[in-house]
Amino acid sequence: MALSGSYVAKEAVTNLWRNRLMTVAAVLTVAVSLALVGSALLLKQGTSNATVQWQQHVDAIVWVAPNATSGQSATIGRQLSADPFVRSCIHRSQSYDYAEAKRILPAEEVSVLTVGDMPSSYRCVLYNPAEASAIKQQFTGRPGVDRVQYPEAQIRTMENVIHVLQWVFLSIAAVLLLSAAVLILNTIRMAIFARRREVSVMKLVGATNWFIRLPFMAEGMTQGFLGSAVAVLAVFSLYWGLGLDTVKTVANHNSLAAQMSMGIGQVALTSVFVVVVGVAVGAVGSALAVRRFLEV
Amino acid sequence: MITFQNVTKTYKGSTVALRDCSVDIEKGEFVFLVGPSGSGKTTFIRLLLREEVPDSGRIWEAGKDIGRLSNARIPYLRRNIGCVFQDFRLLPNKTVFENVAFALEVIGRPRHVIATQVPQVLDLVGLSKKRDNLPGELSGGEQQRVAVARAFVNRPLILLADEPTGNLDPKTSLGIMNLLDRINRTGTTVVVATHDAGMVDHMRRRVIELDRGVVVRDQARGVYGIDQAVAAAGAGSPTGARVLEAPAGPDGPTARPVPRRGSRRGAIRRPPLPVPDAGTEEA
Repeated sequence: MALSGSYVAKEAVTNLWRNRLMTVAAVLTVAVSLALVGSALLLKQGTSNATVQWQQHVDAIVWVAPNATSGQSATIGRQLSADPFVRSCIHRSQSYDYAEAKRILPAEEVSVLTVGDMPSSYRCVLYNPAEASAIKQQFTGRPGVDRVQYPEAQIRTMENVIHVLQWVFLSIAAVLLLSAAVLILNTIRMAIFARRREVSVMKLVGATNWFIRLPFMAEGMTQGFLGSAVAVLAVFSLYWGLGLDTVKTVANHNSLAAQMSMGIGQVALTSVFVVVVGVAVGAVGSALAVRRFLEV
Repeated sequence: MITFQNVTKTYKGSTVALRDCSVDIEKGEFVFLVGPSGSGKTTFIRLLLREEVPDSGRIWEAGKDIGRLSNARIPYLRRNIGCVFQDFRLLPNKTVFENVAFALEVIGRPRHVIATQVPQVLDLVGLSKKRDNLPGELSGGEQQRVAVARAFVNRPLILLADEPTGNLDPKTSLGIMNLLDRINRTGTTVVVATHDAGMVDHMRRRVIELDRGVVVRDQARGVYGIDQAVAAAGAGSPTGARVLEAPAGPDGPTARPVPRRGSRRGAIRRPPLPVPDAGTEEA
């Protein structure tokens, strides 16, 4: 059966307008919750860009000198694994470190580097991160060791704060998304009630169930989409407002914004995710309403 | 076209709406379903629309056992059935044309089909000139004509009418009945559930009488109340009219005079048409 898109669109728009107050409430709730989701994702991405070398609980990095022999490198690895402070230790090759340098350093610096210039490294997880300085003392100056690095307390604090913020944002967003779904459900329920005569006539003359349901589903998904569109605007304002679009240069690469900066592609990806979640919330809300209140 | 085979339907609270009901309606027949309120007429119609399913027994409609129809097939069944109700059920914010066109739109008929079929059927019901009026601007009779047009626009095999003249005066009712009669002559099977004694007596078509869910009379060219001549003759007489479950003559259950509803109609009832003795027609 030809279920024309224009019919569904026309019905959905008519309903949205008829129910505009509820629609605005639902759209705004979706918008606020998804703006929170989007910001949380953006912050998470920014933090992970800024602290890329300290991911996966790495507490200390032992850089192998570029001129070290493979025997020296292997010895360092054995000594680290045997160290009582070290829980585990992973060897990172030169090409891995080169790829990482490209993410951390300004482009103009990376352009003069080659894979051969890069040192390989050992990433260590300690039993107690506070003891990283002990590792530094032990290994600095051993044959083949270039230097030992561990994150400063500030970085750890920043990571922790942002980690907590993310969870706060995401929990609030989850609650708001739930209420958005309920608001959408209620809007669709009112739309079904407003159109009960049409629906009964449609059933009588033999309209298929999907023909009756689809305009209501489209209405809910439109609400979700509109809300997520507003949230996408918020995500982009955050991106530009915090200066996360800063291009890293030699001059600014120690500033927080530059360290957290990311390409517009990552923001676009976040936006796509936000839109998908918005439409999904609309679909779930309206599907429940249709299932519960539309007896077809 | 329609076959009820030992159909029983009980609602919650053990109200029996239909009990062991067996009826056969041929293609192209015009049938009145009569009986007092609560006798099961509306249940009969609802079962045909598959808004209800029988507790036991089977119903065939247009060659299909509709009890075995999956939910997804029900809309397609209903496309073969037109239905008219006492309260018209028109959409108040759509014009006459749009109301009729709606029935075709929602089953996905293309625009050119709507553009040709709707004017045709509006012509048939005599409302071509009011096609752009809203239902609220029409008289009750005109609204019911729109409802009939909507029910018939898809050329259904069966047209069901539940008290189609319940809200109308006798003269207007006659117009609706004549319309249903014209539709019947196109080959459409018509089933009319009604209290309208005058109309039934006037039309002299097949009458199926229900009482408390039981078919108590099935008579070709019947009248609303029990035809005294037939009742007197009893079930044993070799007449075409079958009086069911009538073990005795005047004292039997079917001899119970069926009260004519709405005595107001008595005063303005059209004189019965001259018809041959009810007993001489073959069913």
